[in-house]
Amino acid sequence: MTATGFSGGVRLVAGRAIAEAWASRSWRIITGVSVLIGIALVVVPRLLGGGTTQYTLATVGEAPPGLLAALQAAGEAGEFAVTVRTVPDAAAAEALLRDGDADAALTGVAPGSTLYVAERADRTFPALVSQAALSLAITDQLAQAGLSPDEIAAIQATPPPVQVPVGRVADEGRAGVGFVSGILLYLALILTGTAIATAVATEKSSRISEVLLTALRPTQLLVGTVLGVGLLGLAQIAAIAVPAAIGLAAGGGIDLPASTTGDILLALAWFVLGLGMYAFVFAALGALVDKPTEVGAATMPANLVLVASYMFAVIVTIQDPNGWASTAASIFPVSAPLVMPIRWASGLVPPWQLVLAMALVAITAVALALVASRIYARGLTRTGRRITLREVLAG
Amino acid sequence: MVLEARGLTHRFGDRTALAGVDLAVRPGVLTGLLGPNGAGKTTLMRVLLGILEPDEGEVRTDGRPVAFSDRQRWGYMPQERGLYPAMTAGAQLTYFARVHGLDRTTAQARARTLLAELGLGDRFDQKVEQLSGGMQQRLQLGTALVHDPDVIVLDEPFAGLDPVAVEELTVTLRARVAAGRTVLLSSHQLDLVQDLCEEIVMVDHGRTVLAGPVAELRASSGRRQLRLGIPGHDGRDWLAAFPGVVVVDEAVDALRLSLPAEVDALAVLDAARRTAPVVDFGLDLPTLSQLFLAAVEDGATADSVAPPAAALGTEVRS
Repeated sequence: MTATGFSGGVRLVAGRAIAEAWASRSWRIITGVSVLIGIALVVVPRLLGGGTTQYTLATVGEAPPGLLAALQAAGEAGEFAVTVRTVPDAAAAEALLRDGDADAALTGVAPGSTLYVAERADRTFPALVSQAALSLAITDQLAQAGLSPDEIAAIQATPPPVQVPVGRVADEGRAGVGFVSGILLYLALILTGTAIATAVATEKSSRISEVLLTALRPTQLLVGTVLGVGLLGLAQIAAIAVPAAIGLAAGGGIDLPASTTGDILLALAWFVLGLGMYAFVFAALGALVDKPTEVGAATMPANLVLVASYMFAVIVTIQDPNGWASTAASIFPVSAPLVMPIRWASGLVPPWQLVLAMALVAITAVALALVASRIYARGLTRTGRRITLREVLAG
Repeated sequence: MVLEARGLTHRFGDRTALAGVDLAVRPGVLTGLLGPNGAGKTTLMRVLLGILEPDEGEVRTDGRPVAFSDRQRWGYMPQERGLYPAMTAGAQLTYFARVHGLDRTTAQARARTLLAELGLGDRFDQKVEQLSGGMQQRLQLGTALVHDPDVIVLDEPFAGLDPVAVEELTVTLRARVAAGRTVLLSSHQLDLVQDLCEEIVMVDHGRTVLAGPVAELRASSGRRQLRLGIPGHDGRDWLAAFPGVVVVDEAVDALRLSLPAEVDALAVLDAARRTAPVVDFGLDLPTLSQLFLAAVEDGATADSVAPPAAALGTEVRS
């Protein structure tokens, strides 16, 4: 029996690929940049959108105490803070608005008073000021009508209608993370697949594969290469995903549901599954070429499938995650690795569909690996020119 | 161990690369696989190494079919060279040794020893891409030898080597042969290996056209020429005793004779000395290129009129 068993040979081949990458400076730099991207994905939105918005309200004369309290209460719920500036008259208030130093200006809360609104300001804040002023005016009038403070408080405590958000997705933020995961998944699959095809083509054209094939079986070389380069790809996408997932799980600042961290980890699982399915195809296509420069042309069919799946996901699935087309594409194994993660992030997918899609991809991966290893073994030993799939399968 | 091939046939689609090749390589005898470009040498080596499956025939060692695990103890250097450019020389050799089944410690030790033997002792930690072309050639040879294989198969090892490198490679290979390893190397430069290999196998168009010990093949061929320096010789009646001997060239003081395989050159020389003083003589053996061309011509005629190839003193197996 051979001194290196099947798994021993696979480990040697995979270990060599990983050791070579690890020794290369460019790989370490790229991985380092990936970690930074992962951290930035969490930190940057927090810096940009996570801070509270500042509104400035100008009042002619002292602001009524009730008004400020009402606005501050609204600010706590709506994540904004209010600064009040006192101006002597309406003209001064208008000047402040014109200079962009205030978002709104109020001449008073009594009926007949005016609310100046900066043209550029968003309409939420003036509406809130207006509502607060109106509320104060009503309170005044209720008191004048003879109601006791308790009665007034009871009236004011009337709850507003309960808001129930209804959208195409359960949570826009979560769907957004799904979208970003989709981009990264797509890029990682294409790049890792191409890296595998290039590794195979390089070993073939340098005839290293021939030397290895005297001592290793083609399957050992194939699985070892896929495993080695695949793990490098996984390390790279994990370098982005893990800091992002940890950052989100640590929470605070960004308004995202807890399930988002799970979605990111699920995207990692989809990378492993998707790569398991596509990697062997890329390896087989890489074995058809004579020179590494032909890899792009040879891997075109696999790239097209990935591009088409991704385009479908971002064009159709994002718009209509639960239409029949999206549902079918997210379960059909060839497109599932790119469509299902995006669809899943809509939060409206029954879990059994996820399980079914994953199982189908796993089964397809095994079937493709068997066919691909045949093509690979034959392709590696046909040198001199680029060969076609038909030639390999016929011979 | 004896490496044998019997009736190897291999076809690429409708192109026949090997049409029934026989071959025997004995341990301790440096054997050359010769033939022009496109003769099928590389395909034959790939089949021997198990990289390609033969359509017919089989590869045997020591009288039994070769198993996959046997080839772990073989070493192969393909014609087109390639190494991992970003790996160090030491890591490279260690990797190839481990692929052939050695454990890490042994593999590293072997890599160090071999690098020293190849004159690369101080390059263990240097990346391949930083080595000179000549060093890379030696390292390439190292990948075929690092696991101390029983059978060593080298495809065109002399291609692109300068005379010094040829000499170094010869020394390295002779050491393996002397240690009882089975060594087969291919070359399309027939005359380069003439003085190097003890035995040869010549192939053309996927067939064996000539095989055997070099010295014997050359000496027993019908293409020997005897050069006789006989000042002022008169007449060549004495030659009548040797039917088949042809005068190729005749000068005032010299004769050049072509000797058929069955004629003893020394007998002709003795006969000449009995008639006149011979001041100079020499037996010119044909080069391997000449033998090859003769064998190919005979093979061509053999297909039409079938003359006995053995009459020419060449062993033809096809």
